[in-house]
Amino acid sequence: MSEQPAVRTSDVWKVFEHDGIAVEAVRGVTLEILPGEFVVMAGPSGSGKTTLLNLLGGLTQPTRGKVWIDGADLTTLSERALARLRLERVGFVFQAYNLLPVLTARENAEFSLLLQGMAEDERHRMVGELFERIGIAGLEDRRPAKLSGGQQQRVAVARAVVGAPALVLADEPTANLDSATSLALLDVMANLNRELGTTFVFATHDPQLMERAQRLIRLVDGAVALDERRSAPASP
Amino acid sequence: MREGRWWRIGWRNLGRNRRRSIVTASALAIGYFSVVLMVGLLKGLVAEMVDNGTGIVTGQVQVHADDYLPDKEVYATIGGRDGADVAALVATLEADPDVAAATPRVYGGGLVSTGTATGAALFLGVDPEREPRVSRLMQSLVRGRQPVAGAYEVLIGSELARTLEAEPGDEIVVVAPAIDGSLGNDLFVVAGVFHTGLVDLDRAFALFPLDVLQSLIALPPSRVHEIAARVPDPWLAAEAAARLAAELERGSLPVAAESWMTLRPEMVEYANLSEAMEWVLMVIVFAMAIFGVANTMLMATFERRYEFALLRALGTTPGAVVRSVLYEAVALGAIALAAGAAITLPVLVWWYHAPPSVAWLFGETTLSGALMRPVLRVEYPWLMGVAAAAALFGTAVLAALYPAVRAARVAPADTLSGR
Ligand SMILES: Nc1ncnc2c1ncn2[C@@H]1O[C@H](COP(=O)(O)OP(=O)(O)OP(=O)(O)O)[C@@H](O)[C@H]1O
Ligand SMILES: [Mg+2]
Repeated sequence: MSEQPAVRTSDVWKVFEHDGIAVEAVRGVTLEILPGEFVVMAGPSGSGKTTLLNLLGGLTQPTRGKVWIDGADLTTLSERALARLRLERVGFVFQAYNLLPVLTARENAEFSLLLQGMAEDERHRMVGELFERIGIAGLEDRRPAKLSGGQQQRVAVARAVVGAPALVLADEPTANLDSATSLALLDVMANLNRELGTTFVFATHDPQLMERAQRLIRLVDGAVALDERRSAPASP
Repeated sequence: MREGRWWRIGWRNLGRNRRRSIVTASALAIGYFSVVLMVGLLKGLVAEMVDNGTGIVTGQVQVHADDYLPDKEVYATIGGRDGADVAALVATLEADPDVAAATPRVYGGGLVSTGTATGAALFLGVDPEREPRVSRLMQSLVRGRQPVAGAYEVLIGSELARTLEAEPGDEIVVVAPAIDGSLGNDLFVVAGVFHTGLVDLDRAFALFPLDVLQSLIALPPSRVHEIAARVPDPWLAAEAAARLAAELERGSLPVAAESWMTLRPEMVEYANLSEAMEWVLMVIVFAMAIFGVANTMLMATFERRYEFALLRALGTTPGAVVRSVLYEAVALGAIALAAGAAITLPVLVWWYHAPPSVAWLFGETTLSGALMRPVLRVEYPWLMGVAAAAALFGTAVLAALYPAVRAARVAPADTLSGR
């Protein structure tokens, strides 16, 4: 298949200067992730999972090497153009600090649509449908402080996927959740992957999540130690 | 409206730490209040000075023969040797839209003497009918009554009365060099004693009916030294004087029309100094406020750095982050201005109508040669009130600028991972 990858890297490096010592967080990673893949990145703490996700999403620039999203070379883009690309092509779910406390659940979820200039009716309809599907309908007008951890994570997932981005990057999305809640959230994402064809890349320590991977990438010391595709479907 | 969302975020952020927002807004409101009130007081001081400095004797506009000032020679009357149609001149002045009233005057000088004491005095001849419409000199009467036109009566200053030991009803001898080189002298009755509070006036001035002084110093009725006019808004006097000068020039009389601003430059200097002080005050107060507001905004934006990182990560441009913080500052400024105006206006109105006396602090005094009553009066500082409002907004926005730029500069990846 000569399909354009959703995201691609070529010998990408990220080196941090830390108290005069160079820390090589990501060391020469070359990857191709195809549209519709459900990818899990695992690896010990400090192996570079978060750093690689940030590179894939254009949140940080590589020290060396290149990253492409939908064929666009991120290393050649300006701050503004990167912001625009993140807005239109990438959905993020962060481990913490996902929601803006001054906005309601709906306003948080529709934030990207709002920035893209979508009309209010349309936004409300899309967010409404999604909330229904992921089981948080009726919570639209609550602020994050009035939501449980699991509900907040779902709002964050809703925000990440609602605009149907080419790529959703999720950094330990289940880390703070109990096992039942994290399973429910996983189902939500697996369904979206199947039904909408959204590409997901996770970073996680969570064995439950690793089991569900179609493709498992194991990072060790900033390099890919294992990259296996499994035939098993993402759903149980 | 696309900016609406940033406004909304800014506004809601303001409500998050309500106590901090209230304290900051109060600081700005109090800054506004103090600047406007102090400017009002400075303007009150100037108004008191100008009102008294021009109102007691000078008038706001004076017309002389063009060679009268600065030497004030007794023969330099309007129209020279031939004199002028004084009534027509007065009418010309009063025809000006800004002039409320005009009155002719004659000046002289000489000796006054009771049986026991003698003193030098300046003589001022006034029209007893017209003079009160232009100056407050005759209203400063403290004893006796006003002199009557045509009568050999005189008003003398309170200090002069004291040195002469003269009281209303007493007779005094007046000796004055006349214009023809002779020495005029006659017997006058002291009709009354005036007290202005200005030592120079009270010690050296004697007021005569115009016609009587003219005959004493051998001036015909057509010859006067000065026409003084009252312009109720003193700050229009310069324009009125210029208009009158142009008007009178056409009448081919060699005259000069000058406003108090030319005649009493020291008062103009003080007014200018005072106006400069207003700005200094404004700069000092709001410069202090800037640091306070900047400090709070810096704290507030630092606490929210994860949110800015999130905004940036989600694709918000740095400019939009800057604007969301600036809108918060503008909203803060609006609240502060509303509060500031709400306390300032009633206090100003009350103060304007009931200026507190500071007689316990000092008595009558003078400023740039003008009498000052011991009251703290305010004038409404409309323009400065608006300028201070602009300064308040400027302060809020300026103070937020650096925090806003810092907020926009957070590195999304590092900040969100807690570094
Ligand atoms: N901004 C930074 N400055 C300096 N060093 C950094 C920075 N970000 C990451 N590192 C270092 O790079 C390495 C990889 O970090 P990274 O956060 O990507 O690991 P991780 O696999 O996500 O770990 P964890 O499972 O604990 O989240 C670590 O040694 C870390 O200390
Ligand atoms: Mg990590």
